[in-house]
Amino acid sequence: VIDELAELLDVFRDEADGRLDSLVDAVLALESGRSGSDLVEGLLRDLHTIKGGAAVVGLDDVAALAHAIEDLLEPVSETGVFPPELAEPLLRAADSMRAGLRGEAVPAAPVAPVAAVAPVTETRSIRVAAEKLDRLLDLVGESLLHQRRLEHVLGSEAAADELDVGERLLGELKDTAVGLRMLPLSAIATALPRAVRDIAASEGKAAELTVHGLETELDRAVLEGLTEPLVHLLRNAVAHGIESPEERSRKGKPSVGTVELRAAQRGNAVEVTVSDDGAGVSEAVREEARRAGSLADVLCRSGFSTADSVSNLAGRGVGLDAVRSFVEGLGGSFEVRSEPEQGTEFILLLPLALALLEVLLVESDGNVYGIPLASVSEAVDVHEPVSLGGRPHLRLRGEALPLAGLAQLLGASGPSKPASVGIVVAAAGRSAAVTCDTLLGQEEVVVKPLGPLLAAVEGYLGAAVLGDGRVALLVDPASLLRGAVSGTARRAAASAPAQRSPKVLVVEDSVTVRELQRSILETAGYRTVTARHGREGLERLLADTEIELVVTDVEMPELDGLELTRLIRAHPERGNTPVVIVTSCADDAARERGLVAGADAYMVKQGFEQEALLETVQRLVGR
Amino acid sequence: MRVGGETYALPVENVAEIVECGAIAPLPGAAGGVIGVRNLRAQVLPVFDLAAVLGAPSGTSAVLVIAEAAGNRVALGVDAVLDVAELEAASEASDLPFLSGTLLDGDSLVGIIDPDRLFAALAQRAAA
Repeated sequence: VIDELAELLDVFRDEADGRLDSLVDAVLALESGRSGSDLVEGLLRDLHTIKGGAAVVGLDDVAALAHAIEDLLEPVSETGVFPPELAEPLLRAADSMRAGLRGEAVPAAPVAPVAAVAPVTETRSIRVAAEKLDRLLDLVGESLLHQRRLEHVLGSEAAADELDVGERLLGELKDTAVGLRMLPLSAIATALPRAVRDIAASEGKAAELTVHGLETELDRAVLEGLTEPLVHLLRNAVAHGIESPEERSRKGKPSVGTVELRAAQRGNAVEVTVSDDGAGVSEAVREEARRAGSLADVLCRSGFSTADSVSNLAGRGVGLDAVRSFVEGLGGSFEVRSEPEQGTEFILLLPLALALLEVLLVESDGNVYGIPLASVSEAVDVHEPVSLGGRPHLRLRGEALPLAGLAQLLGASGPSKPASVGIVVAAAGRSAAVTCDTLLGQEEVVVKPLGPLLAAVEGYLGAAVLGDGRVALLVDPASLLRGAVSGTARRAAASAPAQRSPKVLVVEDSVTVRELQRSILETAGYRTVTARHGREGLERLLADTEIELVVTDVEMPELDGLELTRLIRAHPERGNTPVVIVTSCADDAARERGLVAGADAYMVKQGFEQEALLETVQRLVGR
Repeated sequence: MRVGGETYALPVENVAEIVECGAIAPLPGAAGGVIGVRNLRAQVLPVFDLAAVLGAPSGTSAVLVIAEAAGNRVALGVDAVLDVAELEAASEASDLPFLSGTLLDGDSLVGIIDPDRLFAALAQRAAA
């Protein structure tokens, strides 16, 4: 445990140290007379992130200090004027926070909000066990020697054998390199038992967390995103799974409930389960699940929770839906099992390594694309497509699947060529038949990101370099299917304009909140467009005349929500677009600033109710 | 370098290398100005049409300038690379975005590209 804590502290310290460095730089620049709202905003974002992080990991003194400085800077962020005498206390506070981070009794965990607010300039670092690097270098050296041997024997009968050796070596080399990205679950799990105790205390319950498989390794990127979904599931287990101590003793159960977190490798995947020994889901929910065929589907639908009464802690359907979106977004799966009086179990199957992906390679319009094999159900012959609602569909075993060309779905212009090969792609509970020119076969590829400059292009997981040097673009199945559905929606709307559902722009820098709002709105039948900050939001709004309403966060990089609201109000054509501000700032002054900027409604995230959001949106778009 | 019939200069410290156009995989769904992605020694690089980005008349993008700034690496499609030369400081400011200034070199007007501003614009452009 000592080792884990030490490792954990290092990870957290690295992150917070970077934030403090940039904070100090900003303070020094401001002190030397440079002005600029950018500097102040960056500084506030750094503080906010440190505060959030410290609070999550229980470094209360650091969090309190960050909070106090935030208050101190409140007038600065309003007036944009930085009094030089503030510099000295700020620098001292930064030193104190740094000292706090290095304190003896500081069990810290990597912090989810860091990823959410991370600016583009964030440097990525990874801590690597020295043995792994040594092994990698050994293997590389061996491969080089082997390559030379190969040259000598090439053409001889021994060539085939040597090629086999090479293949094995290179396979191991690849695996080792992939292993560099892996971290044990302990890197995020150490703070969880305390979180469970705290949640239980606030719910008037008694619960204990037991953790198994702390040494299970996961891709760092998966691990970083996993904290929030895990905390959500733990909350759900305590708030809705575990009964009150009185009820438990009446049932003859131990008065302290048990919540279990388990992780284990299963082939190419890691299975993470969160289970409780509570009452299980109600009979009504079980009945509904029998009809729907899947308990996960029922629980992810809004309005259901594992208990009939919904407490103020998270645990509603929307939350579970976000957990499922996270898992499926990584190419994994999400399942729920529940037994009356035995408890409820949530099972997350996550990919072991994000860097490797098993894909089906296809050719479309002369270019190569890779589709994750996990999302491909089957390949089918496309003959005699049927028309349904004016759109082509493919009949398959009595079911009609939407049919569309791959390149067209991705956004290529021009009509789709008649193609004869179709692939049935399924993700996020939807499926469609996607056509292409040729199937090239399946291959395990190394995923390379498209990079920050192309990150905003939707529809791709990345790219892979193939053996022949060609680049295969890796398609994101979920967004491909969204395209298939919205594409059909557009065409349907053209024939019945009165039925067209309003389009809402969601501007939010936290991906979790953004996806939550998107799913709430889409579930209610709205079409959505999303943006990661105010500047992007404004561009989206001006580029798309169909957007009827804007939902925006306040604190965002580039351009904040208040400024966005002012710019919209000042715009000659789009000045009347309704704006709903959704923020974590609950105080009256903040609300007044929002309304003064021209917002039509102001909602606070803490008391954030999906019904309230939907009511407000409906009221403002008149539908 | 020649871009859509106009002449531009990029600071040489931001240029990693010059390569032939090669095989570029187009990226459906990306905004205009993005030609696609290209494999350069197992690295996947975004390829931009510099003429479209600068607003110059459309060019051929026959040659790719591999440029680096702010930790990013991209391939910029240009008509031709003319020369590596030591230029005097820009003589005139320019109101064109992405340019740090312009100067007269012989008979031709050369636009000096500001790499940081260009890269910021590239990110915006891909998102649009």
